[in-house]
Amino acid sequence: MSAVQAGESPVVGVRVPAFERVVLGNGATLLLMERHDIPLVGFQAILRGGALGDAAGKWGTASLLAGLLEKGAGKRDAYAFADASAAVGGTLGADAGLEALTVSGEFLARDQALMIELLADLLQRPNLDAAEFEKLRERQIEFIRAAKDGDLSAILPTYGAAALFKDHPYGRPVSGSETSLAKLTHADATGYYRDQVGADRLIISMTGDFKSADMKKRLTEAFGGWAKAKTAAPVVLPPAKVAGRHVLLVDAPGAAQTYFLMSNVGVNRKYPGRAPLDVVNTLFGGRFTSMLNSELRIKSGLTYGARSQLVRPTQPGQWQISTYTRTDATVQAADLALETFGKFKQGGGIDAAALDSGKTYVLGQFPTALETSPQWARQLAELEFYGLERSYVDGYGPALAAVTMADVTRVSAEVYPAADDLVIVFIGDAAKIRDGIKKYGPLTEMKLTDPAFSRL
Amino acid sequence: MKSALLLTGLLTMQSVMAAAPPKVSNGLDPAVVQSVTLKNGMTVIVWPKHDIPNVALYNFVKVGSRNESPGITGLAHFFEHMMFNGTAKREPGEFDRIMEGQGASNNAYTSDDVTVYQDWFPKATLSTIIELEADRLQNLAFVPKVVESERQVVYSERRLRTEDDNQGKLMEQVQATAFVAHPYGNPTIGWPSDIQSWRIEDLQQFFKMYYAPNNCTMVIVGDVQPQEVFALAREHLEPIPAQTPPLPIRTKEPEQLGERRVTVHAEAQTPLLQFAYHSLAAADPEMPALELMMRILAQGDSSRLHRALVEQDKVAIAVDNFWQEGFDPGLSWFFLTLPADGDVAKAEAAFTREIAKVAESGVTVAELAKAKSLVIADFWRGLATINGKAQQLGSYAVFHGDQRKLFDAPATYEKVTSEQIKALAAKILTINNRTVGVLVPVMGEAGEGP
Repeated sequence: MSAVQAGESPVVGVRVPAFERVVLGNGATLLLMERHDIPLVGFQAILRGGALGDAAGKWGTASLLAGLLEKGAGKRDAYAFADASAAVGGTLGADAGLEALTVSGEFLARDQALMIELLADLLQRPNLDAAEFEKLRERQIEFIRAAKDGDLSAILPTYGAAALFKDHPYGRPVSGSETSLAKLTHADATGYYRDQVGADRLIISMTGDFKSADMKKRLTEAFGGWAKAKTAAPVVLPPAKVAGRHVLLVDAPGAAQTYFLMSNVGVNRKYPGRAPLDVVNTLFGGRFTSMLNSELRIKSGLTYGARSQLVRPTQPGQWQISTYTRTDATVQAADLALETFGKFKQGGGIDAAALDSGKTYVLGQFPTALETSPQWARQLAELEFYGLERSYVDGYGPALAAVTMADVTRVSAEVYPAADDLVIVFIGDAAKIRDGIKKYGPLTEMKLTDPAFSRL
Repeated sequence: MKSALLLTGLLTMQSVMAAAPPKVSNGLDPAVVQSVTLKNGMTVIVWPKHDIPNVALYNFVKVGSRNESPGITGLAHFFEHMMFNGTAKREPGEFDRIMEGQGASNNAYTSDDVTVYQDWFPKATLSTIIELEADRLQNLAFVPKVVESERQVVYSERRLRTEDDNQGKLMEQVQATAFVAHPYGNPTIGWPSDIQSWRIEDLQQFFKMYYAPNNCTMVIVGDVQPQEVFALAREHLEPIPAQTPPLPIRTKEPEQLGERRVTVHAEAQTPLLQFAYHSLAAADPEMPALELMMRILAQGDSSRLHRALVEQDKVAIAVDNFWQEGFDPGLSWFFLTLPADGDVAKAEAAFTREIAKVAESGVTVAELAKAKSLVIADFWRGLATINGKAQQLGSYAVFHGDQRKLFDAPATYEKVTSEQIKALAAKILTINNRTVGVLVPVMGEAGEGP
């Protein structure tokens, strides 16, 4: 019988390779890292704002604008623009997130001049065509309806964020809701572009097979003359933790399983206890043998998967447990999730051997997150966006190695809520589960087909 | 899939298929890839790559839902779960506890043709991982209590992917309708009644026949030296006795002589349309032409079907397609998602019209050049990680008979002509050769029909 042993500390972590940081006169920041292993160049461009820049009730504006940016720019209409990158095997896409609008792409190194031309056109000279906007808006509404007919575990977090954060900006549906999208106009998108997009909001992180001096020259020429955004970047205040229990039931008639999450406000990106928290969350619900997955899947067969996750934006984001189980086992699974969480909160579940295992696991997997050029482009852009030092990467391995049981106790108490303070969302067949879940707290109910993600 | 939790660096089937011609050869030297065949018939392939201090191990076992029969559908996928659940030497759960405790993670996936076990680990744990792999290949245990629990886990996976997901629900029906003889009609996850009733004897027989070393190809990519891997393989894997090779799948799907249709009524807002055409085996010399044709038709916003059906006619909100490598001729799929009030007949007519154009007029020089460029770039993206390299090497070894063909792929894609694609479309993309699936939304009365 083999004992469970930690490895011989095989990993020392990862260090950020050399890169160059350049701030242009208009505030645009360039991050350049050469990597010559394969003949590709990839980038991530981040514009501060994202859904935080949406006007009240106009959720989805930044998201539609991101789609619209791809629909023609400079001398190219929508088709010519899509063809230009595809013709050379390149990828180029824009997407809105909660706090930023992101454009990312990857091209063969020989096509880097074209890549910069397309990126500069997309950001500085988009067509913002009204007919294209209308097509995107209508399609976005239909995508939400189609998503409700698909994997319900994918749409659960949107309901979860709305229920947890309510009218705090982190509760917004980034892609909009059927209600908000119905009201959006072309002027909302062009207004967002006019006010919220500009050089002082821009970070371009580029990695791959190029020469930094040459790339700096090209990017300076392409972006040095761009104006600043008309308004200052949105500032978001910390959301308040939720006290007490709040239960939302989203009725999905005929669903074979119930999909549920339990959440509260967690930590932000700069949380100083990151290393111990990553270890603790890994052990509680972040890997296959975690406490949650062991109880809900391995020991009981109630689900295909159960986990605990933390979203860490500029201000504290959500911490959540999420899983799913067959409809008739809903209460059994929710009870077990709560019981497991309660046990964890009381300090039962992580001993010295588990801590050792968790540290080794997080350390061992860390290098695979920073293997490719696009991964490094994203990492550099995030360091700049959140104002983090390179020690966020370089110091992570040593910080993991130094985690103690006292750290575990501290972050468990500091980050995870009391079991009585939870926002719980169930998506399932209400007629079959309503009575059983009333015991978890005051119940609010809505339908999956309702055109918004909350009752607000 | 053993676990959705751990789905991090996995490629989609489409991108797995995207092996294609590199014009440049930076960092890609076929001579560094070495392989041995152990005395028991197991193949071990090593690609040393030292960019990060980690290793990817992919064990391709040549068994999938094509090796199942009525009563045991889903068994290949169930094995993918059972292989983590204890051996004669180790308690259930110990495999994962040891791995994770040494900084390693793992997962697995099952297709119609293969079951692939994947480990990602720091290089210092190489010998532990190979010993763990050898143990489960040789000594897998079947504890009744564990089998029952895992049965429920798999059923939960089925509910997630099939019963509560309308695309999955319709796809299962279309696949079952498309095949009248060949076991490719089996759903990989298994029919519900089979999931509920596999017996321990079924598992034991299946294990002995298919989990033999001579039915496995193990690929190891990363911060290792081939000779150290081969030495460990000889120590731990070579002693596992070979078994009589599984019987070949003799059944060939007879030619389809007319369109088949299947309708599913489901609680939904959005109608769905699927089209599945009998297509090619992985090793078919026409496969590169098929892949380029599929890319031209429905990969990305500049593809033909996206432009015609989504942008111009607005009869669909999304068009996707899918094909996968298999030992036998499989299906080439197209998926249309319609708007909530969408006209299914109109969408089908528009799709049929666009598909017919390929057989009538072929594709343009520009379209073909674009598809080839995308394939080249995806080739590089696919090889950017140790995972991607392991997946590609293994696929070429298993489906094309030789991993070195990965490096020959460029020429095969470059040679494809527009005429070849036109002829292929005329052969495959015909009405008589397709199965059409329609999902009809029924609000508040699921399953009762309109």
